[in-house]
Amino acid sequence: MSDSLSMMATTGLLGYGFGEEAFRCGLEMDLDFIAADAGSMDPGPHYLGEGVPFVSRKAIKRDIGLMLEGALEKGVPMLIGSAGGGGSAPQVALVREVVEEIAEERGYHFRMAVIHADQSKDYLHAKLKAGKIEPLGPIDDATPRTIEETHRVVAMMGVEPFQQALRDGAQVVLAGRATDASIYSAIPLMRGYDPGLVWHLSKIIECAGAVAVPKSGQDCMIGILKSDHFLVVPAHPDSRCTRMSVAAHTLYENPSPYHLEEPDGTVVTVDSTYEQADERTVKVSGSRFERSNRYTVKLEGVRQAGFRTIFMAGARDPGLIAIIDEYIDSCRGRVRQQVAALDIGEDHYKLNIRVYGKSGTMASREPVQDATPHEVGILAEVLADDEETSKAVMAMARLALLHSDFPGRKCISGNLAIPFSPSDVPVGQTYEFNLWHIMEIDDPLEPFPIEMVDV
Amino acid sequence: MAALSDLASVLRSKNAGALLCTLDLMFEDVATYERVRDSGVINPELIASLYHVSQNEVSIIPYDVAMAIKITVPRLVPSGSFGDTDVYGAQQHGPLLTIEIPD
Repeated sequence: MSDSLSMMATTGLLGYGFGEEAFRCGLEMDLDFIAADAGSMDPGPHYLGEGVPFVSRKAIKRDIGLMLEGALEKGVPMLIGSAGGGGSAPQVALVREVVEEIAEERGYHFRMAVIHADQSKDYLHAKLKAGKIEPLGPIDDATPRTIEETHRVVAMMGVEPFQQALRDGAQVVLAGRATDASIYSAIPLMRGYDPGLVWHLSKIIECAGAVAVPKSGQDCMIGILKSDHFLVVPAHPDSRCTRMSVAAHTLYENPSPYHLEEPDGTVVTVDSTYEQADERTVKVSGSRFERSNRYTVKLEGVRQAGFRTIFMAGARDPGLIAIIDEYIDSCRGRVRQQVAALDIGEDHYKLNIRVYGKSGTMASREPVQDATPHEVGILAEVLADDEETSKAVMAMARLALLHSDFPGRKCISGNLAIPFSPSDVPVGQTYEFNLWHIMEIDDPLEPFPIEMVDV
Repeated sequence: MAALSDLASVLRSKNAGALLCTLDLMFEDVATYERVRDSGVINPELIASLYHVSQNEVSIIPYDVAMAIKITVPRLVPSGSFGDTDVYGAQQHGPLLTIEIPD
């Protein structure tokens, strides 16, 4: 183990961008590797379902182009995790295509590992049968039917597939779904650094500029590991990290700031201390890693939920707004009757009508029950097994909402202000998460095949 | 008495995965943080009633080093499922704003 190891996190999300000036400053800091996380499930199930990124191809190409240039210039590894957002096969393939395109355009040559994270139904059935799959939080137990219904499923890899790829000579690692921290922990753990410090540092810098002040969101972040502490400092000289910005970061998107779960154990920050080392740098020590007696990977899977059609409109009639909830109930009844005449039964669609201005944001959790807004927004959605049914139900829902009578009605030519023509918007197949579980495995490499490519 | 919205410097919500919603209260100074933390007002009973969940589904963790209190509850439905109103979970903090903290 050398005295010190340095890494740069270019961006919290590949395709969200980073400052080129910050990046170039960072490159001069004697780095051991550069990396970026490309993944998030925050945008919801659609992107994994369709196998598409939630950032543009153009933005991915810009970010990865700069990173490749820097990594090749300095002769250091470049690691990307959760390529394409969800880290599934079509998403990884898209990023791979971008990398190969850049290499072709600029005449780059390097050895690349592409690591896959998609899981086959046969494999999952076997694991389920062996009792190796359990819920991660408030979701039903997985059953054989859950697996059969799954449209696409990935597992989140730990550090081991990255490490194997590097041992096999990869300079560039393009990984499918991976834990954010594994991307940054793989190399330091190979070199023998303390796992508590390694994992905690990785957790902090995987969001890159998120811990920088002022918050530009564009900053590259530098992490420096020593034997008994680590340092976090922004790459750009005008940015700094504060004790508080770094300490607060473990709160973000985690249920606990003290215990952060990884495949082979838990990062414990209970005894971590945060010191301002200099104006721009924070020093952290005391973090621990408690190894688990089993190795688990998280599964993220989606099933098809039906074809959605949406419709938006405003209502400004005070008489209608006063009784809007009852009115919507009566409209739902009318829709039920009218689509029944089209041979569409109640079990063939789902209709949801939200009232913005009253409870559009929090639905049944909205504490304010007595709001009397001067206008409200109505958002209706229909889910059905096919697009024709979805559109047909929405057409009836629109008709009901626009033209139903209500007590004291004076606006008898129409109850809604409809802003667009066409008014009904089919948004295609939708998805929902049906696997949000953990799966115990014996070999951390088994579910993650590595493909070596000479670019 | 003072409303939490006046005492906290950050009052945010966000998904912690697709199934949980996590709410962070952060404070500018130790005195305010300790006043809220030690008031006993932010307890599972209150959070359960505000978010219509049962008390054993509520997690509340004071985080002294960042002068923060973290609250986690189940989402209404998983992120992006039918009936979801907030895929990122970023606007679910409203019920906390008006909580009154004694002096």
